[in-house]
Amino acid sequence: MSPLGRLSLYLALMSSISFGGIPSVLPDIREFVVVANGWLTDRDFSNFFALSQTIPGPNMILMMGLVGWKVAGIPGAIAGASATAVPSCVMYFVGYRLWDRFRDAAWQKIARASLAPLTFGLVIAGGTVMAQTADKSWPAVGVSAAAAIFLLTTRINPLWMLGGAAVLGALGFV
Amino acid sequence: MRLSVETPKRASLSAIFWDFLKVSLLGFGGGIVLAHRYVVQRRQWLTDAEFTDALTLCQFMPGPNVVGIAVCVGAKTRGLPGAITAFAGFALLPGAFGFTLALLYLGQTQIPLIQNTLSGISAAAAGLMIATGLRFLKPHRSDPRTVVVAALAFAGLAVAKLPLLLVLLILAPLSAAATVILRAQPR
Repeated sequence: MSPLGRLSLYLALMSSISFGGIPSVLPDIREFVVVANGWLTDRDFSNFFALSQTIPGPNMILMMGLVGWKVAGIPGAIAGASATAVPSCVMYFVGYRLWDRFRDAAWQKIARASLAPLTFGLVIAGGTVMAQTADKSWPAVGVSAAAAIFLLTTRINPLWMLGGAAVLGALGFV
Repeated sequence: MRLSVETPKRASLSAIFWDFLKVSLLGFGGGIVLAHRYVVQRRQWLTDAEFTDALTLCQFMPGPNVVGIAVCVGAKTRGLPGAITAFAGFALLPGAFGFTLALLYLGQTQIPLIQNTLSGISAAAAGLMIATGLRFLKPHRSDPRTVVVAALAFAGLAVAKLPLLLVLLILAPLSAAATVILRAQPR
């Protein structure tokens, strides 16, 4: 199969099992595109991640569009973004219809209670793995820690933290 | 706060499109806050309870969660055409715009200034993601089952570096069993 076909299938599969959002499968996607296939360098991958965080809009779909673009140009971008978005949107639609119909069922309460804790752990792990790639220096670790602490303890818009980190980076501190 | 109305207001497809376009472009990680303001408070398409319900579903369904909110609100108000319209407003147009912007940036990554700026941003973005997960966990910190399952999921993925699918296949049944057993016990 062509690289583009393999990437699309893989992204569609990852998107369909990404409980807690796409960030929870970023480690697997990095393994596939950087380590196993060598389509991207580690630097490409973290650049795409950083870029997609600063551009408004659906950032993980954009990131996978950029990954696809690296593999096969514009058709690759469309395939990467579609593979990430379309199958899961169909699932959201069907899932929501069922969810709404069986709102008070006992199984729904159990499902809610047992899957939520998994979600929490997976999101924290996704951030940690990205930090391991992004934090190549102690100041970078400091920036990650500061952003986390600000988000947890203040009501400052996260955009300010990304902007502040961009300035620190531009001045050569990170 | 206004009382929720019994009959939800009918949503026009163009209003769905423009509202989700705005949520997407102005949300900056707080898309849910903005979506709530438009959908529940201003437009009254969904009640507070209906919105919370959709949010819960999207949080534990796989996929790019924020897009899920758009799809669910569209589905609730106008069925399949509504879901497609909300997706187009939220993801299609901003995605094409963002991609163009990204390519313009990427042409410049060899310049040290741009590379340094991106290093700063990726460090902060990783920290923000960790904090978001911790924020989800915070209301449940006195519930041992939740904390243990979350810690095991974290350890499996970030420490033991196991594939996600394996972590899910092991922990989801365990977590469900723990939920059922703990619920059956008298408190």
